[in-house]
Amino acid sequence: MIFERFLGADFRRRRLLAKAPAGPLRDYLATPFPAKESASGEVAYLALDLETTGGDPEHDEIVSFGWVAVNGKRIDLATAQHRVVRLRAAISPTSAVIHHITDDEADRGCRLEQALAELLQALAGRVLIAHRVETELDFVGRACERLYGGRIVIPAVDTLQIAIRKQQRRQQIPRRGSLRLHALREKYGLPRYRAHNALSDALSAAELFLAQQADAPGATPLKSWLSPSASRFAA
Amino acid sequence: MDVELVEVRDFLAEYPPFSTLDANLLNALPKMLSVRYLRRGSRFPPADETQPCLYLVRKGAVERRSSAGALLDTLCEGDLCAVDCLAEGESSIGTAIEDTLVYLLPCATLRALRREHATLDEYFVRSAAERLRLGRGALEPASQVRSSLLTLAVGAFVERQPVCGAPSLSIRQAAEIMTAERVSALLLVDAGKLCGIVTDRDLRARCLAAGVDSATPIARIMSSDVASIGPESAAFEALMLMTHKGIHHLPVVDAAGLRGLLSSTDLMRWQSANTVYLAGLVRKSEALGDLVRASAELPELQVRMQANGATPSQLGQAVSSVNDAITIRLIEITQWQLGPAPVPFAWVACGSQGRHEQSVHSDQDNALILDDRFVEQQHGAYFAALAQHVNDGLNACGYRYCPGKVMASNAAWRKPQSGWIQAFRGWIRQADTMAAMLAANFLDMRTVFGEAALLTPLHAAINAYCSRHDAFLARMVANTLKNKPPLGFFRNFTLIADGDHADAFDIKRGGLIPITDLARIHALAGGHAEIGTLARLRAAGGSPGLAAASAQELEEAFEYFGSLRLRHQVEQIRGGSTPDNFISPRSLTALEKNYLKQAFKVVGRMQDVLAQRYAAHRSQ
Repeated sequence: MIFERFLGADFRRRRLLAKAPAGPLRDYLATPFPAKESASGEVAYLALDLETTGGDPEHDEIVSFGWVAVNGKRIDLATAQHRVVRLRAAISPTSAVIHHITDDEADRGCRLEQALAELLQALAGRVLIAHRVETELDFVGRACERLYGGRIVIPAVDTLQIAIRKQQRRQQIPRRGSLRLHALREKYGLPRYRAHNALSDALSAAELFLAQQADAPGATPLKSWLSPSASRFAA
Repeated sequence: MDVELVEVRDFLAEYPPFSTLDANLLNALPKMLSVRYLRRGSRFPPADETQPCLYLVRKGAVERRSSAGALLDTLCEGDLCAVDCLAEGESSIGTAIEDTLVYLLPCATLRALRREHATLDEYFVRSAAERLRLGRGALEPASQVRSSLLTLAVGAFVERQPVCGAPSLSIRQAAEIMTAERVSALLLVDAGKLCGIVTDRDLRARCLAAGVDSATPIARIMSSDVASIGPESAAFEALMLMTHKGIHHLPVVDAAGLRGLLSSTDLMRWQSANTVYLAGLVRKSEALGDLVRASAELPELQVRMQANGATPSQLGQAVSSVNDAITIRLIEITQWQLGPAPVPFAWVACGSQGRHEQSVHSDQDNALILDDRFVEQQHGAYFAALAQHVNDGLNACGYRYCPGKVMASNAAWRKPQSGWIQAFRGWIRQADTMAAMLAANFLDMRTVFGEAALLTPLHAAINAYCSRHDAFLARMVANTLKNKPPLGFFRNFTLIADGDHADAFDIKRGGLIPITDLARIHALAGGHAEIGTLARLRAAGGSPGLAAASAQELEEAFEYFGSLRLRHQVEQIRGGSTPDNFISPRSLTALEKNYLKQAFKVVGRMQDVLAQRYAAHRSQ
């Protein structure tokens, strides 16, 4: 694993590409990743949020996807997408309350295969943005294994990890709740969103990342923002 | 489930022009936007933005300054910056003064949208005048169900317990009760039962004219066949009954007994709380007390006229003519005591009364012009007393003493005609702004009582002089520019000037007066003798000094400020407080703030034009 990290995500992408079956996963892996040395303000990103039935990617399911592209320092709302997935199991009552998605709505949704294929197409050549990116990486990685029988590698930035690193640099001890998405957004003067859905949260993360970038002095290379979690499913 | 960017759409729906768009376009619009985050202190629009865009501030604040560094405006949540998409607009340097999230709509997309959606296009192409006229429409009360005599019940008019007496009273005792209670009719009740009514007219016709002794029991002259009406009946029915029977009083009776007495005056007053009625009330006044009571109805007049959709200029006319009537009656009542004037005089109204632009809140501004046969030693005391009485009377009627002492009781504002001409020449020579201010006051004068011929030559002389002397006009301009409109709003604050915020803003000083001053100067420069602000703008518009379009913009801005003040004052009157000119941005909708900002800009621009034109003279 250490060896692989040394070789870099793009090396792993090419290695996985060679083994990937034809289809959306292979198409995704065929597109080169943005260079790690590029200025972070010029890179193409995709902010993603998933709503799930629970926290365990082995047993829980993705309820909905929300994503929006970030081109450099600009969020392009034309690319915003929201996909509700038709579930195999019934939605638990608590989850329904949190995400405002009921079984009825989920029934009207699309198949996971379709949503995932669209996501991978949108994600190709882009760096993923999420708040606590493990959830997105774990669930997408697991879905790829299940649906395509192959592994995926996704370069990613994590707005939560960026916030933690910033606090650590300043030797601050995180206050309770201060690393929640809405608390961080408030700190950067971002508006409070009422809606709680995957697209709204993806947009929230995208805006937070723009703010975090604007907060950093000067131009910084992409590699200084990348999350080490990118390699989880490539290992 | 369609939740696509609902946050963005809901935000757009709150602010003009997006708030006027149909739902389909509003739903589609978020996907045409991109989002940027500007760190505090960074440039606006962002330097690396490649295409020209319309900007909408989602959160945070941005300020724009002229290339000379003067603050132009501050944009915050919901504010648009379209300068890059429109040909108009001054070049500016913008800075984010807070961490700011902005939505961007490329100008090319905006152009395409404007071609397809008339409402959006109108917002951007409409002239400021058109936009303000539109905005004023929204200030007028919604077509409310106006209650009429047909819909109102009699009970709504019964305000006090009826004044009653026993039929055994003497005619004199009955008359004493009626005088003490200030009623024109007395109900006579025997053992709790209504048995008769006696009115002022009965006392005259059946007692005095018939030579009946005042010690006779009132039962002898009362009307005993009394018609009455139930409190639930329509007021209109009561009016018909009175007309049919030729009576002016109708007892209101319900199952529990006597409820009150309805008079035809109650109904007439309701139907016509109008100037004609109020002026009649004033004319019939015999003493100051009567005038005070009549003027107490002015706020009600203002409320009702606004509810009926009167424009501020119509209301100004009405309130000023009532003030004229009160002034005239006060002079007449005072002359009953002082006797006729020893020499002819003109009582003139200045300021808003002179221009027919008063609101209920206005102070008094007046002066006396005396015939040149006036001799101080002989006649001085008479006019001093007259002026004092009338000024005091006006104050008692709610037209408060002028803080600047522009009142006839002030000896400086009470002179023979030749004295005024002399004073005016002096003001001109003094060449200071005070003189310019006094001259401005003079230009708004209008004769309310007495010899109008005394004022006319003064007006003509001043008009002729001022239109020939640019240097004097320049001083009037300098004086005018002291009242600057606010720049705009910053959230719930008024942005007055660089770094200055205020809670509320004075719509008179910051809106109405600057336009009044501009109109006076343009009329003067063009030699127009009109007195009202709108009349002056119409007369001067289309001249080399004032383009017709600019005059129209000022007119619309004036009416917009006026409408807003009217609504504000009506709300205050309804809430039981004293009407004033201070409007809090908190009480305004985003749309109203937007219109106000445009009106401020119109005024500011016209002031700048005037300042530049007369700058040469001021520096001399």
